[in-house]
Amino acid sequence: MTKTLVIQPVSRIEGHAKVTIQLDEAGNVQDTRVNVIELRGFEKFCVGRPVEEMPRIVTRICGVCPWSHHLASSKACDAVFGVEPPPTGRKLRELCNSVAYMEEHILHFFILAGADFVMGPDADPATRNIIGIIGKYPDVATRVVKVRHMCAKMLEVLAGKAIHPDASVPGGFSKPLLAPERDQLRKMADECLELAKFAIDFAKKNIFPQYLDVVKSLGVIETGFLGTVKDDGALDLYDGKLRLMSKDGTFADFPYDKYTDYISEHIEPWSYLKFPYDKRAGKFSMELDSPNGIYRTNTLARINVCDFIDTPLAQAELEEFRNNFGRPAQLTLLYHWARLIELLYNAENAIRLLDDPKITNFETRRKVEPRAAHGIGCVEAPRGTLIHDYTTDANGILTDVNLIVGTTHNNAPINMSVKQAAKAVIKDGRYDQGILNRVEMAIRAYDPCLSCATHKFDGTLAVRIDIYNHDGRLIDSMAN
Amino acid sequence: MADESACVVPQFCAKRTLVLGCGNLLFGDDGFGPAVIEYLEGNYLIPEDVCVMDVGTGVRNLLFTLALDPTLPQKIVIVDAVDRGMRPGEIFELPVENLPPEKTDDFSLHQVPSSNLARDLVDAGIEVHVVVCQIDAIPQSVKPGLSRALMDAVPRMCSLIVSRFFNQD
Repeated sequence: MTKTLVIQPVSRIEGHAKVTIQLDEAGNVQDTRVNVIELRGFEKFCVGRPVEEMPRIVTRICGVCPWSHHLASSKACDAVFGVEPPPTGRKLRELCNSVAYMEEHILHFFILAGADFVMGPDADPATRNIIGIIGKYPDVATRVVKVRHMCAKMLEVLAGKAIHPDASVPGGFSKPLLAPERDQLRKMADECLELAKFAIDFAKKNIFPQYLDVVKSLGVIETGFLGTVKDDGALDLYDGKLRLMSKDGTFADFPYDKYTDYISEHIEPWSYLKFPYDKRAGKFSMELDSPNGIYRTNTLARINVCDFIDTPLAQAELEEFRNNFGRPAQLTLLYHWARLIELLYNAENAIRLLDDPKITNFETRRKVEPRAAHGIGCVEAPRGTLIHDYTTDANGILTDVNLIVGTTHNNAPINMSVKQAAKAVIKDGRYDQGILNRVEMAIRAYDPCLSCATHKFDGTLAVRIDIYNHDGRLIDSMAN
Repeated sequence: MADESACVVPQFCAKRTLVLGCGNLLFGDDGFGPAVIEYLEGNYLIPEDVCVMDVGTGVRNLLFTLALDPTLPQKIVIVDAVDRGMRPGEIFELPVENLPPEKTDDFSLHQVPSSNLARDLVDAGIEVHVVVCQIDAIPQSVKPGLSRALMDAVPRMCSLIVSRFFNQD
């Protein structure tokens, strides 16, 4: 008898998704699919609007990662208007990006995915969350919350408000940073750095060694990687060139406004979300044994594609990471380790930017004039490479809009990792809550923002598992 | 250094009363909460000890910060739109312990199983009120703008919030 397990939605990731696991007659995994629903109508809604409204509108797509959309949109507007922000405007944008990254990475590691490791993947779902972490490590939880407060406060000081930012504008940044504000932020950045150092040390001592067998086995696939680097090959999260690395470690560098020369989009009839792939591969395939054109984005991708990190503490961690796992590292759960290296980098980068005397200059934006143009903006969002692509007429009115969000890049790899994880942990029809959570862990490693890649308003429960027989009849149901 | 920084918290953590407008203004009547906040800010004097915020779709993240914050507000008012099969534009309060499943998800950080942050806040001693408006329709694709019934309900909701939750000891 064929069974179908449906995990819907995946708990503790942003937004909703449905995981379907098809079992064969022996109870082993025959196929898996991760279904998500796209944000319908956003591009169409934007057409006909003045392009300068976009940086403000896009923060409404999702409340989870508004800063990345805000900045990618601002950069696309810069390109459309043909302006380069003044150095201080650019630095302020990059500073906001680093602070937002810290807030996101802390949330993901300690709250979303961290619970799997801190509490254990087989722990009772009632304790496998932040409430469980607080009970087990109250001092860590207190520290995490305090620094998240600081990140929110830093963004409030920089941009005037922490939610739905509008300080980044076409041509630069609307709010100069005053010297007393800089001094206030500098102290908070020090505390962020201390937490980042603590987090990676804590994880290396208490978490990663304990679950190394899981790291080496769960969701493991071999793919290429996409990320952003500076001209000299250093990690960059705000600006630079795109680097598309093959799974053998060779790579091609190209300006992000040439992304369509290197990336195509595949469509599957069972998914609303597209499957971007490396155009050079010629064809798209998610076969676990012989994937073709598949690449990944997000933390592990960025750590793999960069030649080095230009801040000392993060560079030391990168060297240790590469000594352990090589380059490119393929183990999916290493996304979490890479995330902590990025946390450290962002704390160091925030301090570097705040120590730059030019950060308090008053020239933060340039005047812009509408024109008929095509402009592309790209940033590395916490969840992957984020591309905003706008075309305007002579009055600066949008005639075409295309967005590729980080989670969309990872659509194929997420499906592949889920299939690999399911095959490894579901045997002969045996499964329980812990096994299914391991499948979810494979997804959570990618930190997918499905609210961003998708929208769904049916408000279903956190996790529901339905089991169907080959006739499509529901024969079992599980929920947490 | 640490002690000085510890006093610095975002504005929403430093007020006695928080009024949070929830929802996505890109999706029709789902934008009711943000519309209420905009109306409050444009037509009323917000007391010093009150913070009104359009939190859009980011309320879970914010409530998590609040739930674990050592300096808790005394009162949180969550303004939202729901579909409970009533007359469009009807305003009512939902008991925290009786939130519909879709709102339980909203108030549970990233759908943490078994953790309902709104209830956690109540358990922490905060007075939590969820005041909502019955929707007319929420479109399947992006289409901003409230229905007539909800546009009419915005001033009524603001009046209710001001009379019930502002300047209360």
